[in-house]
Amino acid sequence: MRIDLEGVGHVYGRGTPFAVEALKDVSLGVEPGEVLGVIGGTGSGKSTLVQHLNLLLVPTSGRVLVDGEDAVSLKRSELRRRVGLVFQSPEQALFAPTVEEDVAFAPRRLGLGEEEVKGRVREALGLLGAGHLAARSPFALSGGEKRRVAIAGVLAMGPEVLVLDEPTAGLDPHARSDLIGLVGRLKASGMTVVLVSHDLDEVAEVAERVCLLEGGSVRSVGLPADVFYGESSLAPATVRVVAALGGAFPEVGRPVCYRETLAALGRVMGARP
Amino acid sequence: MTFARGVGRFYPVDSPLHALDPRAKVVATAVFVVGLFFVDSIAGFLAAGAVTAGLVAASRVPPGAFLGLLRPVLFIVALTFLFQVFFTRDGTTLFAWGFLQVHEGGLRLGVLLAARILILVSAAGLLTATTAPVALADGMEDLLSPLKRLRFPAHEVAMMMTIALRFIPTLGEEAEKISRAQAARGADFDGGGLVRRARSLVPLLVPLTVGAFRRADELAEAMESRGYRGGVGRVRYRELRFRARDAAALLLTVLAVAGAALL
Repeated sequence: MRIDLEGVGHVYGRGTPFAVEALKDVSLGVEPGEVLGVIGGTGSGKSTLVQHLNLLLVPTSGRVLVDGEDAVSLKRSELRRRVGLVFQSPEQALFAPTVEEDVAFAPRRLGLGEEEVKGRVREALGLLGAGHLAARSPFALSGGEKRRVAIAGVLAMGPEVLVLDEPTAGLDPHARSDLIGLVGRLKASGMTVVLVSHDLDEVAEVAERVCLLEGGSVRSVGLPADVFYGESSLAPATVRVVAALGGAFPEVGRPVCYRETLAALGRVMGARP
Repeated sequence: MTFARGVGRFYPVDSPLHALDPRAKVVATAVFVVGLFFVDSIAGFLAAGAVTAGLVAASRVPPGAFLGLLRPVLFIVALTFLFQVFFTRDGTTLFAWGFLQVHEGGLRLGVLLAARILILVSAAGLLTATTAPVALADGMEDLLSPLKRLRFPAHEVAMMMTIALRFIPTLGEEAEKISRAQAARGADFDGGGLVRRARSLVPLLVPLTVGAFRRADELAEAMESRGYRGGVGRVRYRELRFRARDAAALLLTVLAVAGAALL
């Protein structure tokens, strides 16, 4: 399935004195079968953005299109099954007495038969290498194990798109590389994955396209090499120079790439880069 | 789902009421609320209502936001009013239709009780809207401190109040977050009958409780690691100062409520 955000904006607490504009005019496509990385500083709108993909948040402006159809007109429960969203620290939402039952929650809500539910639970736990935890209490697990169980709880719905919001935050390097390996395997099986992360290395490793958010807007989107080359080679000072240039040279615009920066600097200095 | 939004919320603006000493505001509110029970005439309630309205205006809290605070009690007010109007058989009959009778005394009592509840809630709301939670707790601690001689743990009670107030929005946010995470797994908190609805809350309440205990543990550890060991020998970052204007505000409140009671 294909998801397109068209000029999506989101204001929290609209009409109150506590209103916050978290997203501004975001247009972004999630292509079927791709791994899309979403990066950006804290408060840049990453988590708000991904909650629009399954309409947990309804845009206050703009539209979300699923295969060209306005997502608001689709059945909400069906959309949430097809777009599986794993929140930040998803282990905080574990609640059942055993791991097995917790993972079974979503497929049961789908009204599947008991055999089918069992099969899905086994499969999802297996994918995350957590099959041996099935009979344990989720509250007695380690942080990394809880995380894997929580992700299995979403995978058990059989989503077409899996959205992972900072799945590796707070995990040890081993668990981290395991998870990134999982993303690779899911992609190979044809699943679309949206990976939100602070860790640029892991995004560079698995993402085919990267979207960089800043202050609730898309600052740059494209191949990881382009986005990272432009951004990571820009020292903070250079970013400020470029931002200043933006005023004088609207044509510099966005996305900001290293080449463009040099070209713009050259124009300002009256010399060729 | 929206949790505890607006009710009793501190409204951070600059106003003469915000600047008053919290102790003065707590005592004035208490005097006003108790005094309201001695008011028993329409004129008295008009006066008390006018004073409250004037104070709301002086607090610079937008009237719309302030009325939002009254919304939850409107149902109780309406219920009280209707009960008094229809079930008090006192004075001349104004209206009769079958078993429904409205007497003059009932109407009067209904209006007075409704006015009392509305003004009472407004006064309490005014206190929380114009006093930051921390200042409120500091004020309460000072007011309760004479009881320390009777071994009443004034500081600890105030600290518990501060922490409780501080964590209401945090818990609300967490509840919102968890309910969204469960909604992403197909949970539905609104559908079905009472039993089903109660059951559907399990995936929300269990993680919320677990999280609250975890948070309490973490907070206790953080406080201990920073050397907290109760109120003994503890000084404050912000000292409260009772100024002339605080005394004046208190005096005016006493006069206003005494006047309203005599009317």
